[in-house]
Parts: sequence; structure tokens; C-alpha cells
Amino acid sequence: MIVASSGPYSAIDATESKFDNELHEGGASEVMQMPRPYPAASIPASGGGGILPVLPALRGLLPQGGLARGAVVAVAEFRLLCLALAAGASADGAWCGIAGIPGAGLLAAAGLGLDPGRILLVPDPGPVWPQVVASLLDGCELVLLRPPARASAQVRQRLEATLRRGRGVLLVAGDWPGAQVRLRVVTQRWTGLEDGHGRLRACCAEVVADGRGEAAMTRTCWLWLPAEDGGVAAVGPLDLPAGLPAGFPPGLPAGFPAGLPEGHLADLPSGLPGTAPALRAVSAG
Amino acid sequence: MVVSCPELRASGGSAESAQRNERVISAVTGICPNVEMVEPGVCAFGARGPARCFGGETALAARIIAAVADLGVQARVGAAGGLFAALLAARQADPVLLIPGDGTAGFLAAQPVSVLADQDLAGQDLVALLNRLGLRRLGDFAALPARDVASRFGGAGERAHRLARGLDFRPLAPRPPPADLAVAREFDPPEPQAEPVVFAAKALAERLHAGLAARGLACVRVQVRATWADGRESSRRWRHDGLLTAAAVTDRVRWQLDGWRPAADSDQYAEGGVTVLRLTPDQVVHAAGQQLALWGETLPSDRVARAAMRVQALLGHEAVLRPVPGGGRNVSDQVTPIPFGEKREPRLAADRPWPGRVMGPAPALVFPAAHAAEVTDGSGRVVTVSGRCELSAAPARLAVRGESTQRVTGWAGPWPLSERWWDPAAARRRARFQLVTEDGRAWLAVIQDGRWLVEAGYW
Repeated sequence: MIVASSGPYSAIDATESKFDNELHEGGASEVMQMPRPYPAASIPASGGGGILPVLPALRGLLPQGGLARGAVVAVAEFRLLCLALAAGASADGAWCGIAGIPGAGLLAAAGLGLDPGRILLVPDPGPVWPQVVASLLDGCELVLLRPPARASAQVRQRLEATLRRGRGVLLVAGDWPGAQVRLRVVTQRWTGLEDGHGRLRACCAEVVADGRGEAAMTRTCWLWLPAEDGGVAAVGPLDLPAGLPAGFPPGLPAGFPAGLPEGHLADLPSGLPGTAPALRAVSAG
Repeated sequence: MVVSCPELRASGGSAESAQRNERVISAVTGICPNVEMVEPGVCAFGARGPARCFGGETALAARIIAAVADLGVQARVGAAGGLFAALLAARQADPVLLIPGDGTAGFLAAQPVSVLADQDLAGQDLVALLNRLGLRRLGDFAALPARDVASRFGGAGERAHRLARGLDFRPLAPRPPPADLAVAREFDPPEPQAEPVVFAAKALAERLHAGLAARGLACVRVQVRATWADGRESSRRWRHDGLLTAAAVTDRVRWQLDGWRPAADSDQYAEGGVTVLRLTPDQVVHAAGQQLALWGETLPSDRVARAAMRVQALLGHEAVLRPVPGGGRNVSDQVTPIPFGEKREPRLAADRPWPGRVMGPAPALVFPAAHAAEVTDGSGRVVTVSGRCELSAAPARLAVRGESTQRVTGWAGPWPLSERWWDPAAARRRARFQLVTEDGRAWLAVIQDGRWLVEAGYW
């Protein structure tokens, strides 16, 4: 079954987006909580006034395709994804503060596109971390924070008020109950390393985003995080890592060739025919 | 008047004796300001004024000896009409020898000519010659006509002759007392409000800059010290790439003192208020203007600089860092963090080949201190690497301290690295591995001296 793409988004490059269009036409609505990345074409490449840009591969994960100023974006724990989220804005000229992460891999950050010249590190903000973060937010458009202690509701509200005034973005590596967008890496697989030879080359990761309001829908993306060149790239169906175990990514129907990037289809509502997207994927390949 | 400390003269140029010497000089400067250093351990000054002030030369000498003795140094004081005679007097003093002005010629005449040898002008040659000629006392030498001495003994002899007659080559050249560039303001009663203190800081900063500018100086680093009513002190050094202007100094005072307020929105200081605010220029340079790099360097905007300084006010100068990518073989070496406001230079140059560095994507997490770990093989024995880089068995499990044991699903190594073998203190031999564990994470593990460490995480 091959359906011509004639939805509202005409210039779509990502295969996933193509699926979404087709699913749209097939009658799936957003009310059904369809996992649907935001189509890249509907998003301005560089953020307008209220949006800090992110790397192109990450646009599908975020409402409005970027980091909304004044918002809190939480990533479940500190990992490369946190740095990748900051890279687009930093490459665009924003200053980035990194607080409470003494081990942040700055070489990896530079590989992703963060400008080391525009990074302020506060490795150990200590008990006054809310003041430190508020000060950093005055100067930097983006602050990446791993709170040294659990933030009380009062501290969170104060910082969120500072955020709204200063039009910055707070990226939290950890738990932040009021976060507008929450991201987490559910699966990841490194390629290039065999039993006793090779070296780490790239990592194929499944990233899930959800949140509040505009971001309430759960969206899933397969990303090279990092890709072989150290950057971030969308995983195409053809360049999947070889040797993925059967049933990886999980949720594929039995008998389907392993290793296709459709993890987000795992959460399909039961009312939809689960095989249809798989067929399309074959035709797209 | 000459003050001589024999033990400091003898101990030569060690750093410790230089330090003690400096302390002695400042003790003497405390009594009479214009002091000339003659040589290590010996200083001279004009005694007439101070002697009148302290009630006579004897009282002055006693005072100086007491002040220097407080530092644990024995001093001898000599005075005469002229530097050379006073030096000789100090050398023979026990501990004070005061030659009155009209007795100087007689005192010198009685000295043996060998004292001229110590002056390092005539040297041993002249002294030996004078002795052979039967001139054994300075008085005998001084009695010769000056013109004949000049024609017979040359320039060196002429200078020695002048000394012997009690004439010095040059007047005393005292070093001016170091100008005190620091400015301070006392608050009586202690000032509990923030605004008046900052306002006073503004006036102080302007005074500091006026004082510096009058000497053609500018200040790169300034120390701000506030004393609180309960005796506690808040002292911090502030540095800035650009030269610190009066407004910049005022800002820093405000940030530093903000940290002492009990709550962010209160304008009252705890600790009963400020009693003294003191600004000391800590690093002073000639004001030669500032040249910015034409390109290639990102300069922080004022807004960013203000934010960084405010955090520095809270946590200290070294708490806000800017990373500088550099070279190196280990992941932890490849980025040098530099405190905000200081010159950004990597510790290891980036443009060298650095053979043996880990290839491939950089790890997202570089542990500040490597975590202890254990890598075991299928039968549970710790994996070892021999001197010939042979692996005892394939790694099967990784146990990082503080985490649960994980099965190893992929690995590569050992990659040997022998660093700085020429320097026993810094030499290390290690073998590195990349490991992937069943939860999908990858690790950079190192075995060194038979111990496993995890240096970085890829996730």
C-alpha cells in the first residue's frame, strides 16, 4: 500500500514525518495521542524571537521545533542529549551556562557544535545553587543544570519566575516536576565495537519526549547520538546499525526484519492496524 | 646612620634571608622613612632629623635595635659624618658606636688601610701596595696630596683617597617609601544598610583610580576587603581582562557584599554592618591602553561578564570557569578550565599529534575523579594485562563502584599508553579499553598498576 504524500506538509525529508502525514490522512488525530514528531518543514530553521534554535535532527522532538524561551526542559539524567539540546543555540551565538556537572564532556559538546568560547562552567554551585542559576540566567540564554539537591517547590517557582523575566531556557538534567518538555533516552546502542576489536563509532538512541500543554503528546525519535562525526543525525531506515538483536527496536511485529527505526510505533493505539506503517516503510526503503 | 645586621650579610641571597632583610628594612622604615639599602643586611639613612625627633642619636639607635630585635635579628648601629665612616662604625659597634661629626676624621685616620679592600674599589691590590709603601693607616694615606695620589694610583686610588679623607662619592640616595595606593573608608557607627556602603565604594573606587592615574598606572586586580562589626572579614580578589574601571570596581564590591545579606531581597547586612571597607590594588601595571584581539576570540559581553562575576562573588574566583580545548592523550587533559576573567590558554597545545589518544566520538561524561571499578572474565577472575600487553581473558562483566554489575556486550583494547616515561614523578603506564555494557552504555576503562578505573562514560 503506497499512499502519495499530499498532506499539509509538502517538503518533508524525514521518513517518520512521511508516516505521520499518511497516518493523518488515515484518520488518526492528535486527540488519540499519536506519537508524531513535529514535521521539520513547518518549523522555521532558526528560531524566531521566542524560540532558541536546536540542531535540525532534534527539531521533531520539541513543540515549535526549538527551545521556547522562558521554559524548563528536563532530561531524565545527564547524558549527551543534554549537550545536544544546547548545541543549536550555542552555535547560533547564545551563551551557555553549565552548573553542577563537573564531568560534562566539553570535547563532546564541541563536537556537537557548542562553542567552547561561549560556555560558563560552574562545576560546584553548592548550597547556593538557586542563586547561582538565577545569576547565570541573567547572562546566558541557556543554562544546563544538574541540581545538587532536590529543588523544593518554592525554589522551582522562583527560578521559573526568573526564567520568564529573563527569556532564557533552563535545561535540567534530572527531575523537574514543572518542566514544559521532558525528554529521555529509552534505548541506545553503540556501534563499532566488537568482541575485542573495533572502536566506538556512533550510538543509535531512541529519544522520547513528552510534557505539558503544547508538548503533551508523546513523540519518539531515533537519532544518531552521536553520529560518527560527533554530531547528531536522524537515523534513516537504511543506515541502521548492523547486528541489532532480533526484536530491537522492540515492538516490531514478529517476522519483520529486525533493525528498523520504528520504535515510536510501539505505542500505537490498539485500534489502528499495526502492520500498515511497516509496509510503508518497506516501500519507502 | 648605618644599621648593619651581620647575620643577614653572611647568609647571602637565599629567599628566606631576602624576606627577613625586607622585614628589617620595613621595620627601620617605620622609624625613619627615607632609608637606602647599601647591601643585603645593611641600610643607611640621614640621622639628623630622626635623632631630633626621638631625642638624640643614642635614643634613636636603641629604638632601632629594639625594633629589629623584635624580628629576631641582631643589629649594630653606627653613626658618623659620612656613609663610609658610619659603615665602619657600624661594623665595629657593639651594638652602638656613635662618632660625633667633628671626630670623624680622627676615627677614619686610625683605621687600617685594609678597610679599603672591603669597599671593592681599590681591591686587594691597592691595599697591598699601600702596605708595601708603609702606609698602614688611613690617616697616612689621607695625608698624601690628592693630585699625587691621582697621578700615581689612578682613578681607583683617587676614589679610595677621597674615602680616607672622609669624603663620600655621592650623597645618600634613600629609596622613597612605597606609595600606599590602597584606599579605605571607616564607618562609625557600623553601616548596616547596603546602599550607603556601595555608594562609599563608588567614591573609594574613584579615589583609587585618581591615585593610580596620577602615577600613570592601572590596576588589573583589586582586593576588596570589608570588615564587619563582629570582627569578621570578607576579602576577595577581583581580576578582569580589561582594566578595572571605577564603575567595575563598584560593581564588584556590591556583588561581594550581596553574598552577606541574609536574604536576597533584604537590604540589611547581617553581622551588624560594615565597619571598614578597603580597596587595595593588587596587581598594578603601567597604563598603556588595552588592545583587543582582532578576531579569533569570543569576548564575553557585559551582560555575561556581570553574571559570571556575580557567581564569582558568591563562590569565589575559581568557581566560574571557561573551558579551553587543547591537546593531550587522556580525555581529562583535553580541556583546560580557566577561571573567568583570566587569559585563556590550553595547558597542552592542541596542534601536536598526541599519539595514543582515544579516537572516535568524545565521551559525554568525563569523571572528575576516575571511578574505581572491576572488570572480570567469564569465570569471575579480574582481567589483567601483562607487560607485553597480553590480556588474561576477555572482559565479561563490569562492576563500577556505586552501580550494579553489568554484563559486557562489546569491548575493544587493550590500547597501551606509556606517558612521560622520562619523568619519574609523572610517568604512568596504562592500558585502555572501551566497553559496552548490556544497558547500552559505553565506558572508557583503564587498567593501571593492576587496578581498574573508569575514566569516562559514553551515554
